[in-house]
Amino acid sequence: MQNLITGLVMLFLTVGLYIVYLRRDRLKLKKAIEKGSKNFLQNSIRIFAVFIIIGVLQNFLSKESVGNFLLKFSGIKGILTGSITGAIMMGPVATGYPISGYLLENGASISLVSSFLASWVMIGIISISLEIKNLGKRFTLARNLFAFISIIIIALLMEALL
Amino acid sequence: MRDILRDYIVEIIICSIAIILMFFNPNKVILGLTYAINMYISLFLMIFSIAFLSGFISEVIPPNTIARIIGRESGWKGILIGATFGTFMVGPSYVFYPLFRNLIEKGAGINVIATTIGAWAIKVPWIPFAIAIMGWKFVLTFNLLIFAYAIVSGFVVDFFVRGKAKKPLK
Repeated sequence: MQNLITGLVMLFLTVGLYIVYLRRDRLKLKKAIEKGSKNFLQNSIRIFAVFIIIGVLQNFLSKESVGNFLLKFSGIKGILTGSITGAIMMGPVATGYPISGYLLENGASISLVSSFLASWVMIGIISISLEIKNLGKRFTLARNLFAFISIIIIALLMEALL
Repeated sequence: MRDILRDYIVEIIICSIAIILMFFNPNKVILGLTYAINMYISLFLMIFSIAFLSGFISEVIPPNTIARIIGRESGWKGILIGATFGTFMVGPSYVFYPLFRNLIEKGAGINVIATTIGAWAIKVPWIPFAIAIMGWKFVLTFNLLIFAYAIVSGFVVDFFVRGKAKKPLK
């Protein structure tokens, strides 16, 4: 539903921009449409491939199996395993919260749950190819490395603060 | 043909893996495919708009307009715009990567884009749901820390991307 509303707003914005510009320079607009169609096809293929992995992964890894796997770890090992598992897991974060809830109920440490959740939302191994293609290798490497370090810091801070 | 192969190598590998898994557990793969199709449909308007918005930005909008608003020189204004946009937007961030690329090519600051992607980790619409499961103390502290990370991430990524290379990308 949220996606639909945001999508509609973006669509109106885009169509609005095109219509406003229609009077000014049709040639440029034609180029923009050509480029847009090319983008659309290319992005669709790439993004759909990411959706396939997320879909397949979600069906092969159940909430309990991920939860029980993570419960075996604690301390700094827990933080590391949590962040690596979180980076592999993808898809809407709504699936991440029940797993985290399950972990907390079964006695996992705050730091493990924090690292798992933070990594879920901050790093996506599956979308890394998209990141490299669009934003470059340096950007991707710097961003993800820094995110990984931050996840560990966030996990330790969460443990200390809560 | 070779270009297509090289361009879509990752996607081709993914499809091959899905086909191989199909032999082991067809039901789960079909469920996965159904999920992918549903996701695509639910994000279709966004993907469609982003493609044409990118086209418009790269062909029509003059570079200095983008640079003035979210360029590196826009300073804290640009960073805050990026952080706010990232915090409140919904949908997966990678859907927006092509748009970010266009914005950078048109003069947006690396720091602003990195902060935007960082702040994307805050999922405002899901906060009530998260509080119900994890408690408000956890969720609040967690998101505040992520917000701080997002801001710092902008400076760090910008430093590493621009530090040595003269050109911002590639």
